[in-house]
Amino acid sequence: MNLLDIRNLSIELKTKTGVILAIDRVSLTMKEGEVRGLVGESGSGKSILAQAIMGVLDDRWQVHADRFHWRNIDLLSLTHQQQKDIISQDVAMIFQEPMACLDPSTTVGEQLEEAVPDHQLTGFFWQKNKQRKLAVINLLHKVGIKNHTKCYRSYPHQLTEAFCQRVMIAIALAKKPLLLIADEPTAAMETTNQGQIFRLLASLNQLKNMSILLISHDLENVTHWTNNITVMYSGQFVEAGTTEQIFNTPYHPYTQALLESSPKANIELPPKSRLTTLPGSIPVLQHLPIGCRLGPRCPRAQKICVQAPKTTNYHGHQVNCHYPLKEIY
Amino acid sequence: MLMFTLRRLSLFFFTMVLLSMLTFSLRYFFPGDMLINLSGQINANTAELKQLAIDYKIHESIFSQYWQYLTNIFHGNLGLSMASQLPISTEISTLLPATIELSIIALTIAMVMGIPLGFIAAIYHRKKIDNIILTFAIVGHSFPVFWLGLLVILIFSIQLAWFPSAGDISLLFEIPQQTGFLFIDILLSNSPYKWQAFNSALAHIFLPASVVALAPATVFIRLARTSMMEVLETSYIQAAKTKGLSFIQIIYHHAIRNALIKMIRHIGLQFANLITFVMITEVIFSWPGIGRWLIVSIGQRDYTAIQNGLLVLSIFIFVVHIFTDFIYAALNPLAREHNHGS
Ligand code: SF4
Repeated sequence: MNLLDIRNLSIELKTKTGVILAIDRVSLTMKEGEVRGLVGESGSGKSILAQAIMGVLDDRWQVHADRFHWRNIDLLSLTHQQQKDIISQDVAMIFQEPMACLDPSTTVGEQLEEAVPDHQLTGFFWQKNKQRKLAVINLLHKVGIKNHTKCYRSYPHQLTEAFCQRVMIAIALAKKPLLLIADEPTAAMETTNQGQIFRLLASLNQLKNMSILLISHDLENVTHWTNNITVMYSGQFVEAGTTEQIFNTPYHPYTQALLESSPKANIELPPKSRLTTLPGSIPVLQHLPIGCRLGPRCPRAQKICVQAPKTTNYHGHQVNCHYPLKEIY
Repeated sequence: MLMFTLRRLSLFFFTMVLLSMLTFSLRYFFPGDMLINLSGQINANTAELKQLAIDYKIHESIFSQYWQYLTNIFHGNLGLSMASQLPISTEISTLLPATIELSIIALTIAMVMGIPLGFIAAIYHRKKIDNIILTFAIVGHSFPVFWLGLLVILIFSIQLAWFPSAGDISLLFEIPQQTGFLFIDILLSNSPYKWQAFNSALAHIFLPASVVALAPATVFIRLARTSMMEVLETSYIQAAKTKGLSFIQIIYHHAIRNALIKMIRHIGLQFANLITFVMITEVIFSWPGIGRWLIVSIGQRDYTAIQNGLLVLSIFIFVVHIFTDFIYAALNPLAREHNHGS
């Protein structure tokens, strides 16, 4: 069963000078127990998309979609508050810079406690406090924090970033989510800590069958941990497929460029020569190209690319391009 | 926390030393005979003047003069008021509590009015309520305090006769002075008309306290509004939203405390301003406080009073500063252990 089924979701940003189409018809599906990577450069709108799913965008942003289903419930037919209630029951989110995401003036324990939903506590109200504490200690153990008393009493600034991220994951786990959205959970962390966080997420995925939407700018890193990958560029859908499809046979010029720009793909390159990259940089929101937004930078662009391409599906491998690189494999 | 306390205490100590040096140096700037200015004995004859010169060590080095000055302060020996010929220390001990009472009550009114209004404005940012509150804040801020004082006397005391316009309690009540703080004295006294006296004191303090409170309240509105807006933009509020907490929960559990932390030190800084308003208001409402006394003394060229009144008021303001620092540290875990900065 599809957990999440989004078809052609667009997000508009209302500014003083007019309306900007920040996300242009992006589709995304999540199955139960799936780990999906959502990859794109910074500014490609991946965090906005995640926030739109969580329903926490403020009223400057306008979200439209052809379909927005959560476990076969049509969210579009509900009010905003109902959407939020349903989503926040089953979907949790963790962020980059976990320390900044914890209230600096409250202890970690208190913040964990308030994340434990009331309906998980059985018993009478005088027992609830104790149960809450127990639940919190359990959560801390689940994310691999053994010294729970010390952690419980600490303030966020007394912990390291990686530790804070574990706490954030514990907070996310409190409501036993079906889907965890991890927005660059390891940005600005040391490599060993990164590995630990990813392993923790992977084990949670396997033990609890929790789906994970892993948002990252690093395509190569993500491939180690995901089953499927969706690539975005400048607010447009680029390509989606299994990790193997994306990594071994990218159909879209952008995905190919992403892979080629990584040092691993350039292993035969002589030392000190430049890595292959696309010319130019990601366009700013105020000056988006019409049609395919990769157009100005795309090596394969032709006249027709000023019209937005339609998504084509090759055995579950979806590409959004007029001239996919299908023939070369 | 211990380190924090020690640091604050050492700051207090050194500021006091500097302050005493400053007030000490004032003696060289006042016109007239220095000895008379210091002691306030305007009618002293030659023999007495000689004795005073010895007492104040006027012919010795500047260091022993300073030391004598400090000793005098600690012994409460501040000289006589040139105008009334009463000891300055007794005058101050009766006048200062009235000023403390007025300023603390005004500060409380300003905070209770200003901070919640500012928070509400921030929560309804860019909505009508925000605009209304902001307009009120700007209009309120531009009222000159002396004019406002006269205005409320005209309206509430003379036209409507709701509140008395002068003094701190009706003359009918005789309250023995124990602490100097009128409200505490009333409660301590065993007069049968205790509660009537209390009501009368309340009615007397209401107008001056509100007049003093208006300008600081408008500053608090704007401070509270900006700090709340900043807090609402932070990642932890965004993260709390995805936790599934309701907006009210977020405001109560996370936003208010952090916004208060951001503004508490500004409240301390605002206090010095508030004292100036208190001084002006005391004159208008004939409040028997130290501010009025000081202004009157300036008019009468009462140099003894000016010197010591300034010292006492500055100490009071500084104590309040240190006090807000402690509140800040109690609210903010980060401040308690930072060894550097702040
Ligand atoms: S649609 Fe055209 S411009 Fe866009 S990626 Fe494909 S070839 Fe390049």
